[in-house]
Amino acid sequence: MNSRKELINHSLMTGKIDQYQEGKRDVTFRVFRFNPQVDSKPYFDDYTISAERGITVLRSLNYIKEHVDATLSFRAFCQAGICGSCGMRVNGISKLACTSQVWDELDKCREPGIIKVEPLRSLPMIKDLIVDMDPLVDKMTRYSNWIETTMPLPDIGKKEFLISEEEFHKYDKATDCILCASCVSECSILRANKEYVSPAVLLKSYRMNVDSRDALHDVRLSELVKDHGVWDCTHCYRCQESCVKSIPIMEAIHAIREDALECRGPKDTSGAKHAEAFMEDIEKKGKLVEATLPIRTNGMVWTLRNLLPMAMKMIVKRRTPPPPPLVKSAKGIKIFRAMFREMSEHVKQDHQKSQKK
Amino acid sequence: MKRYAYYMSCINESMTKEVDRSIDFWQKDLGLEFIKLHEGTCCGGSNLDYVSPKHFALVNARNIALAEKMGLDLIVSCNTCLMTIRTAKKQLDETPALKKEVNDILKKEGLEYRGISEVRHLLWVLVDDVGLDTIKAKVTVPLKNYRIAPFYGCHILRPSKVLGRDNPLAPSSLDQLIEALGGQTIPFEHKNRCCGFHTLLVAEEESLNVAGEALEEAINSKADFIVTPCPLCHTVLDGYQSKALKQAHIESSIPVFHISEMVGLALGYTAKQLGIKRHIVS
Repeated sequence: MNSRKELINHSLMTGKIDQYQEGKRDVTFRVFRFNPQVDSKPYFDDYTISAERGITVLRSLNYIKEHVDATLSFRAFCQAGICGSCGMRVNGISKLACTSQVWDELDKCREPGIIKVEPLRSLPMIKDLIVDMDPLVDKMTRYSNWIETTMPLPDIGKKEFLISEEEFHKYDKATDCILCASCVSECSILRANKEYVSPAVLLKSYRMNVDSRDALHDVRLSELVKDHGVWDCTHCYRCQESCVKSIPIMEAIHAIREDALECRGPKDTSGAKHAEAFMEDIEKKGKLVEATLPIRTNGMVWTLRNLLPMAMKMIVKRRTPPPPPLVKSAKGIKIFRAMFREMSEHVKQDHQKSQKK
Repeated sequence: MKRYAYYMSCINESMTKEVDRSIDFWQKDLGLEFIKLHEGTCCGGSNLDYVSPKHFALVNARNIALAEKMGLDLIVSCNTCLMTIRTAKKQLDETPALKKEVNDILKKEGLEYRGISEVRHLLWVLVDDVGLDTIKAKVTVPLKNYRIAPFYGCHILRPSKVLGRDNPLAPSSLDQLIEALGGQTIPFEHKNRCCGFHTLLVAEEESLNVAGEALEEAINSKADFIVTPCPLCHTVLDGYQSKALKQAHIESSIPVFHISEMVGLALGYTAKQLGIKRHIVS
């Protein structure tokens, strides 16, 4: 029983109409509307259509545009999760409309039967569900999100670049990114400051930086460690969780940080100093020495200026972390330290091996 | 009595001592025995994993191995420690060569990481092991007049492949605990959002914007207080609250409780006993 007609006939003959009804129902799409040339402020329009099981949010929006309201604006192209054009927020979560099933979304509605559709966050609005991707493209330019070849000009077109399988796996997943900007929309820090590099650009930067054919590694890295760059990520994992291609974006961000520490040293930026403090404290005491963490990260002047009023309140509440001499080492610290240092030797050997390669 | 190995988070030994202190009061009431791992070390706080991935694996294999030696699951009361130690466990379980390398070193202390102990959050133990009905039955001072904003924080939800207990888009365990204690949860958009802790010292303005948004929603929703399962979230939402709200031009305040304190209050312990007076916002 494949066709809808057969299904209807079967339902009529057997009297079992529930099965047919289950496959089709009225669904309301509450769609964000805003035309800055006409509207003083955004509003929502409700469109109720009869939707069949298996239909996607994008197909529903196409239907609304063709049959109900031609003024509704959204971006879409491939309709198959490949081009990344139809990124939008469906029931509050940034995703592709073309791979979002209406039936799945009905389970996530805050108001039963009403699917809320809004534009992506953290990008300027153009009209309705369309956002301006230019700020993202500008950031891709600022962080040199392309490969500049290391091959001498006379060799180009005559020689091949041979890439090891090991290297390929480093950027295999990252190349799945289709720039849909779902991660951009979900990013906590970008929401707090539009200057922040953004997860998508960090992912692209990582992808370029681990490519042995690229000559811009150091230039790109020097830009990434500046203000609003890689150290400003707050590890919330919203980017990774919302990625429509399941790319481990946080691993890429961490890899840039690891690379920055290795290439530029642990004293390069406040972010690097902060990260390195964990390594130092764990080796020394097995515990974090929180009292001096702000000073080691940002220096005494910053700490006094920024944290003194709060420190006073904390002293009153007996909430201040203990000074370094009073931080008790973990029990069995001597043997722990010996093991920690043994691992340091392993890391050194790994490093020497990778340099020989 | 259900027995667990209890991981001592750095922050709970320094700034948020009230977490462990309040657990000590009520653990026996709920049939729990938490054995503190004094040999445990800092998990790396979501930083060591990229500073030195191999040290990260060693340190946390050891933390788990200490619990395994006792034949117990490892219980954590800080979201970031939870996510960090579970991430290490996943790496060790999926990478036999790493597990072997780490175990060759751990031998020196007579330890072995086998991968048999689970690493779980205190909140999960309360909801899943003790059970909501048992908790309800033990409540002597129901939180019935309180409207409570549940703030889960990030690292008890995401990455979901590592955490997996709650749906990160619609978490429910904390809501269930609040309701079992007689409290009323309020709809809270920021329940699964970030507190900004991990960039406080690197990008303070951004962190405070992130925290300010959550605080603003809780205040506007007329919540009586926020409750969180994470001492790091608590440090931002309580300790940095006045700074965050000043930056957001909001003249108000809202108390923030740890789950351990909320449980203690409902079981009849006083605010003084539980260390609630140590909070910056009262």
